Amino acid sequence: MINPHPGLPELEYLKPTSLIEASKFLADHAGEARPFSGGTDCFVRLRDGIWKTGTLVDVKQLEGVKDLTFDAKKGLTIGAAVTMNKVASNADVLKHYPNLAEAARSVASYQLRNRATIIGNICNASPAGDTIGTCMILDGVLNVHGVNGFYTVPLSNFFLGPGKTVLKPGDIVVSISFPIPPKGLVGTYKKLGRNTIGDLSIVGVAVLGYPTAETKSGYRFRIALASVAPTPYESFKAEAVLAESKITAEVISEAGVAAMDSVNPIDDVRGSARYRKFMVRNLTREAVAEVWKKISK
Amino acid sequence: MGFQRITLTVNDLVETVDVPTNMTLLQMLREKLSLTGTKNGCTAGECGACTVLMNGEPVNSCMVLAAECEGANITTVEGLAKGGQLSKVQQAIIKTGGVQCGFCTPGMLISATALLARNANPSESEIREALVGNLCRCTGYVRIVDAVKEAARM
Amino acid sequence: MANVKNKEKSPSIIGANLPRNDVYEKVTGTAVYTDDIQFGNKLLYARVKRSPYPHALVKKVDISKAKALPGVKAVITGADFPNKIGLYLKDKTILATDRVRFIGEGVAAVAAISNEIAMKALDLIDVEYEELEPVFDPVYGASKEAPLLHPNMAEYSYPNFIFPKPGTNIANHFKIRKGNLEEAWSKCKYIVERQFKIPHIQHVPIETHVAVAMMDEKGKITLWASSQSPFAQRALIAESLGISPTDLRVIAPFVGGGFGCKAGVTMEALPVALATKCKGWPVKFVLTREEEFYTNFVRQGLTSFLKVGCDEKGRIIALKNTMYWDGGGSTEYGVNVTRAGGYSSSGPYDIENVETDSICVYTNHPIGGAYRGFGMSELHTGLDQAIDELAAKAGIDKVEFLKMNVVKGGDKLDTGMIMHETGVKQTIENAAKAIDWNSPKTPSSPNKLRGRGIASMWKAPAMPPNAGSSAWVELAEDGHITVGLGGQEIGQGTFTVMAQMAAAALGVPYENVRIAGPVDTQYSPYEWQTVASRLTWSMGNAVRNAALDARKQILDVVAQAWHENAEDLDIVNGVVVSYKTENETSLKNIAIYGIPKENDQGWVGGPIIGRGNFMPTYVTGLDPETGQGTRSVVHYTTGTEALDIEIDKETGQITVLKAAASFDVGHAINPVLVQSQIEGGFIQGLSSAMFEEIKLKKGVTTNPSFVDYRIATAPDVNFKIETPYVEVPQDDGPWGARGVGEHPMVPTIAALGNAIYDAIGVRLPGPPYSAEKIYLAMLDAGLVK
Repeated sequence: MINPHPGLPELEYLKPTSLIEASKFLADHAGEARPFSGGTDCFVRLRDGIWKTGTLVDVKQLEGVKDLTFDAKKGLTIGAAVTMNKVASNADVLKHYPNLAEAARSVASYQLRNRATIIGNICNASPAGDTIGTCMILDGVLNVHGVNGFYTVPLSNFFLGPGKTVLKPGDIVVSISFPIPPKGLVGTYKKLGRNTIGDLSIVGVAVLGYPTAETKSGYRFRIALASVAPTPYESFKAEAVLAESKITAEVISEAGVAAMDSVNPIDDVRGSARYRKFMVRNLTREAVAEVWKKISK
Repeated sequence: MGFQRITLTVNDLVETVDVPTNMTLLQMLREKLSLTGTKNGCTAGECGACTVLMNGEPVNSCMVLAAECEGANITTVEGLAKGGQLSKVQQAIIKTGGVQCGFCTPGMLISATALLARNANPSESEIREALVGNLCRCTGYVRIVDAVKEAARM
Repeated sequence: MANVKNKEKSPSIIGANLPRNDVYEKVTGTAVYTDDIQFGNKLLYARVKRSPYPHALVKKVDISKAKALPGVKAVITGADFPNKIGLYLKDKTILATDRVRFIGEGVAAVAAISNEIAMKALDLIDVEYEELEPVFDPVYGASKEAPLLHPNMAEYSYPNFIFPKPGTNIANHFKIRKGNLEEAWSKCKYIVERQFKIPHIQHVPIETHVAVAMMDEKGKITLWASSQSPFAQRALIAESLGISPTDLRVIAPFVGGGFGCKAGVTMEALPVALATKCKGWPVKFVLTREEEFYTNFVRQGLTSFLKVGCDEKGRIIALKNTMYWDGGGSTEYGVNVTRAGGYSSSGPYDIENVETDSICVYTNHPIGGAYRGFGMSELHTGLDQAIDELAAKAGIDKVEFLKMNVVKGGDKLDTGMIMHETGVKQTIENAAKAIDWNSPKTPSSPNKLRGRGIASMWKAPAMPPNAGSSAWVELAEDGHITVGLGGQEIGQGTFTVMAQMAAAALGVPYENVRIAGPVDTQYSPYEWQTVASRLTWSMGNAVRNAALDARKQILDVVAQAWHENAEDLDIVNGVVVSYKTENETSLKNIAIYGIPKENDQGWVGGPIIGRGNFMPTYVTGLDPETGQGTRSVVHYTTGTEALDIEIDKETGQITVLKAAASFDVGHAINPVLVQSQIEGGFIQGLSSAMFEEIKLKKGVTTNPSFVDYRIATAPDVNFKIETPYVEVPQDDGPWGARGVGEHPMVPTIAALGNAIYDAIGVRLPGPPYSAEKIYLAMLDAGLVK
């Protein structure tokens, strides 16, 4: 029975001054300490009693986590404490990765996005995470600090299941880096919730496309789906349809069907599997058509 | 469980408060500083009744630990009127009739104030988008949206 | 002389858009709600041990370990408070005694020095249950096969207008037998038969329930509560505790939204019960949002079977309406919802032959209680969709069909009552016109389907026949008046409307009226409850009478002092004037100390307090077998809503293009407040139509949070709502006014359902009309592939 505590349960709050100290503490207190930044998922889970955490380790003052930098050669880096609103309004993001800004802006409410972060969205590993698909198809790579120092993980290898990732005790995701996007890239995020905006997604479809000599169609599309698989899911089948044939309205529809056929969603309180499948098809078709319209000009 | 001593600015006053480490900013405002204008509607960051400005930006104060607020600058509904003069948004919501039970009003006023600070002349869609995190059950939002438009004109 | 001459020109306070008298406090954060009251360091926190089973016997509750936990001040169980409590059918106890009947029902409670300790104490309470077979469907629940939830029903007390059936799960069975239905069917050219299922929904006030109670050493109790019903709570809680009502003082500050859920008694009794075990300690109980969703009142579910027929010309002549209400584990308040659904079951339509069975059934679901509309939304959701289909079958325009069939003054209603004058026909015309009913329905793109829907409604104040109001009006030394009243400001603006009425009746400026709030049963005059859209009408009559009484006292005193006749005097803008002698004096000059007689020969007058009350005395009983009687209700407020919508063929999402809500309000005392009620009620109705449902799975509420119980947000309702109201005066209302608080959410589901039907040609069996349901219906109908 769900009967959450009226407030947060008893907990300790720690504000380490260095990544080394933070990783060591988290490793030494595996299972009872947890890093947090905005807390928007974390506090809810603690109050619900889903997480039993003794100590919250605030990462917001650690080195590198507040960085939001763009370099014309290296690309974009977003620190763990950079809020979604900062990402959504950043001039470099809007110029080079506008689909990421769009995805960030689709999350919850303005005031929540002043606390919520992209890294938090990723580490929370919800299949419904609205920014994750876009981060995946932009080839995001996580910069992780663990007890043995820094290492990187491509986002495509990060998720193990709902709420489960490859992170080990002591690991703190410090930032996510994106390469310079391919020339001519256009992307979008189509989200269907119960309300017009602000809801969790029943289905989310992140699509990007760009011209390339490497495919038969002359274009490459990337398609990531939210809320229809145990983890954020990239539909290679749908992408292949768009790579292999000359792109027409029919082929775009085929890609939608391929996306639909590539997932096996579940019934839950937000939507049925049947509806989800059709929405994957329709939103994929809509998103691809919208991207295609822009890149084929 | 631990306590933290924090110093922060609330409605232009510097306050030093001892807070339990599981206390939220919302609880601190209401229980430690007797600023009960900020309301609790869900304790989950969903309803927006607890919205305050933290360093000029709106946040759900139920989703912020008081311990995180060292050095922060907080504005609550009690801090909107200056020297007995109601702010534009406050005046506008009276004029348009956007207050009924009043429980969402403090959070609405804060969200609207923040919107107008970042966008002096918002469109109706922008107003509605900015208020998506503030639930109201009485008004159907009609006269609240009118109030933000009115405040932008003032 | 200015006042004498300007009398006829003085601006009317009645009908003026005066600003709310509570708004300054509400925009500055200084308005005091229950949880804002400071109680100091002795404050205790209450938490409840709740049943995880929908239906079970409580075999043993062991509180010994919880009691021993340091910081715990009181632990109680159902055995400590065995007396029944309830507004109509007394079937409930403060905590479960021998049996739990829904998931979340309280079995024990703790008061401790912190919430953390109270939560730990709950974990230390051991409860032994024996699970029983549950009932989750009201139709099954009403059958002989279903297990009994209240085997002792025969022992419960109830008023004579409720008809429980001991030995079954039927807590009330209201019947109407009017005309000859069997014969009528043969005269029908067109007949529609439909079944609807309306889910449970929640009120969702933004302020959850909160109550604080303290017992002093002498045993007197004070309860501070976010409440629509301080007087009913005083009476019912006192009765259950076996104390005198005046030994329980209820103080009711501003309410952060009610919509019915803070009426009657629900969780408020709990901190009182705890407080009796720890004298001198204030005990606070605040429902979490999650508890708000399923442990307190919800709107009960309804399964309804409708058969309605019309003759060749489109006259509705036959209706069979069978309603099975999913009442939940207790129906103490809900039984009267089902009675209201019964006596209003024809809707605002003049139908000669009616057979109704409104059956309230116990189930192992959350407790159904009062909800804005009190059964009428549920009733009209099915009825007005069936009628919509009947119009289509008869090939008659829906607007014309409604106009042809609605009641008018003098008609004999389904209960035999004669209808008073009503503007329902005008509301139909207004609503249709506001959305350009007859204009072409061209979709904005090939991916959209467009449709329009319209639905009418009626609703009477649902209450005991003799629910009363009282008020006082006191003149202060500054010539201002203070109005004492017992109805609650829950957002609707009643304090403002009462100030307007008192000002107008007595003759002072609106700005010179103070409301004696918060309502406090120790000082405030009696009011039954803030429910049923009854305050403007009932409390308004009491306030008006009190102001008129004060006015009479003032005029008598001045007449005596001036040696004039009171009939020649008037009070205008706070000044007493004589039309005969053109004498005048400010109320300031006569308040409190009266008026000196000439030549220092004593005084006349003294402090002025006017008193007034109101109680309808004309409502009669109805025959239990036929539902027929002289006057079933005081009156009906009627109205109509219409929607113009588009549906996205890709997703099933609805976009509202235009909306109109027209109600006959009798007389709008404050037009902006009237329109605000209509706008807000319409959106609440639309929210219930599009999004809302308590998703119950084997008794478990699977969506008890805003994450998964979605309500309309600002971006969802980005369209204009027209609210052209009608004013056909009510004979027993102050200045002709009648209530309109609940009505705007009543026809909305039906209006939207009709618009969806118009757009896609599919009738969905029940709300919420989510994008998913609409898309899948279009898919199954072959409208999309």
